[in-house]
Amino acid sequence: MKIVVDRSPVLSGQNRKKTRMIFIFLLAWFLVIGFRLIDLQVLNHKKLKQEVIEQNQDLITIWPTRGTIFDRQGRILARSLPAVSIFFSPTRGEDLKDQLKSIYELKSILNLSETEINRLVNSIEKRKRFTWVKRKIPLEQAEKIKGLKLSGIYLINENKRFYPQGRLAAHVLGGVNIDDAGLAGVEYYYDSALRGREGQQLIMRDARRKEYYIETIKETQPGQDIYLTIDSNLQYLAEKELRQAIEKFKASWGTVIIMSPASGEILAMASYPDYDPNYFPPPPEAMVNRAIQYTYEPGSTAKVVTAAAARELAGISYNTYYDCRTGSMTFGGTSVRDHVRLGILSFPDVFIHSSNVGSIQIAEIIGEKNLYHMFKAFQFGEKTGIDLPGEEAGIVHPLEKWRKSSLRVAIGYELAATPLQILRAMNVYATGGYLVRPKVGLIGPYTQQNISDGSLRSDESRQPVISEKTARELVDLVFKPAVERGTGNQARLDGYELAGKTGTAQKFDPALRAYSISRHVASFVGFAPADHPLISMIVVIDEPKGPQYGGQVAAPVFREIARKALLYYHEPPQKLPENMILARQTKESGVTD
Amino acid sequence: MVRKKYSWKHVLLVAGLAILFLGNITFYIWYQSESIRLGYKIHDLENQLEKRQEEIKLLEAKKEALLSPDRIDRLAKDELNLQEVKPEQIIFEGEIEK
Repeated sequence: MKIVVDRSPVLSGQNRKKTRMIFIFLLAWFLVIGFRLIDLQVLNHKKLKQEVIEQNQDLITIWPTRGTIFDRQGRILARSLPAVSIFFSPTRGEDLKDQLKSIYELKSILNLSETEINRLVNSIEKRKRFTWVKRKIPLEQAEKIKGLKLSGIYLINENKRFYPQGRLAAHVLGGVNIDDAGLAGVEYYYDSALRGREGQQLIMRDARRKEYYIETIKETQPGQDIYLTIDSNLQYLAEKELRQAIEKFKASWGTVIIMSPASGEILAMASYPDYDPNYFPPPPEAMVNRAIQYTYEPGSTAKVVTAAAARELAGISYNTYYDCRTGSMTFGGTSVRDHVRLGILSFPDVFIHSSNVGSIQIAEIIGEKNLYHMFKAFQFGEKTGIDLPGEEAGIVHPLEKWRKSSLRVAIGYELAATPLQILRAMNVYATGGYLVRPKVGLIGPYTQQNISDGSLRSDESRQPVISEKTARELVDLVFKPAVERGTGNQARLDGYELAGKTGTAQKFDPALRAYSISRHVASFVGFAPADHPLISMIVVIDEPKGPQYGGQVAAPVFREIARKALLYYHEPPQKLPENMILARQTKESGVTD
Repeated sequence: MVRKKYSWKHVLLVAGLAILFLGNITFYIWYQSESIRLGYKIHDLENQLEKRQEEIKLLEAKKEALLSPDRIDRLAKDELNLQEVKPEQIIFEGEIEK
């Protein structure tokens, strides 16, 4: 390396002074900048960092979309769809008048009532930082509001529960509140599965608040889809027939439950009055699912248990006879009567014609203890364990509290049961002696099984209650004839053999402290076809006006639903009904003969 | 004043290093800005995908509402003047005991 030494002076004295001045000025300038940098980076570091994070980073909670509820065929019964909510947050420095202006501009678009406006004005005047204006409005409406760019008005994406089938299966589905939390029905029972688990995301934004990077801090677990055992078509059928019957008889309420006998799967559960879950909550009287949340004295439908006790525990022969000529009897300080004088009846005829007098005579032979044990074996007074909330257990008084009159349990008084409990009791005969646990929910996809192919699995938790022999005999000798020629003959269906039992229970009037002679609960419980049951069903109608008996009010509803349900399941008649043509297509001609 | 004189070799080396440094800086800035640009694009596409999925869900629900048994029954009766089949009008084909 060469070094060249220049010996001439670089700067004159004047220039050196100027250079020094510039140097001092620059040094001072750098010192100012340095101090400012220390101020920003060290002294105010914490505060400023926080401001930056607030400006360009958002840690947001991601709420999972609630799971969809399907029926057994994969039809959507409930689904969460996007909706937008509007909230107000005051802009800094804006005066009250301007803040209120935004609210008044929204009044017509959102159709806000005076009460809502007053609530908002009140909240703004109290300087609240956050106020909901309206929750879950349609997307089109939200776009309109977004376009207005109103000061202090913000939009947030949410989900809204939508029930595309409207009122269908309302009591099974239940409903959700404004925050999508299940409050009734399946929505409540399976809330934790449907709801999912919220996640967290860190969102990075640029100076224009535009998102450019998203980091998932905690994975969102979406709500689980749920498949129900409900068949939408059968549910509609049950609801329609029930509504027609309620209107025809000007009844107070009614319920229909259809169950798959072997598996305990509920195919339809209708309760009237009903409601539209899209507008939840409904009025309190419509909210009650009468199938499981209401107990009543079942009347003669409880005789299905008495008949079982007579055969299984007391060994009463089918050839015994009972004197029912008087049409009434008094025992234990109370009296029972038949709807007509029935004469001398055999054991099956007592139940076929639903004689209360005969049933009490049989109950006296059975004895209190045996009768009590049989009702307990059928699990009366206990919840069935169905996967729906609010189920009633019913009442069977403990044996030590029984009086002489408590033998009326044999005819369905002095005990309380839900319609589902009565159906389950009758279902014991459809399954050949087993008590099954009813259910409505199946988490996970349902394999497309047709109920009529008999491929539905039997309930694994089923319990034997009576022997298969007793079940078969009572079906053949009591419950089939009850439909063919007994009190349930209006349930008779040409071409098919049905089994069933009617029930007509007088209602207790607390004001009179006696049973009313004008207010009844009419019911019919049975299954079809009797020999290889595809469905078991109960129809309960409260306080019908005009005809009062279960055989007149509930049995025709049972018949109509059974007829359509058997057609729906392609179940041909077991014998050719009168005036019915048998058609068969021949290969050669293609003509039916 | 002493002035250093550098050879071309050194000047080229320094210039090369400077170019390499500047190149790296340029690449780094390009990489960062491209990442951000792609971030925007991915975010937009994800939003679009989500929107489409929501639209599908909405349309499925609408279809379900249109096919609800209540609506079909009403349309059949009110608009098409169809009537419910009577039991005696049904002809069964299959294995029936005579």
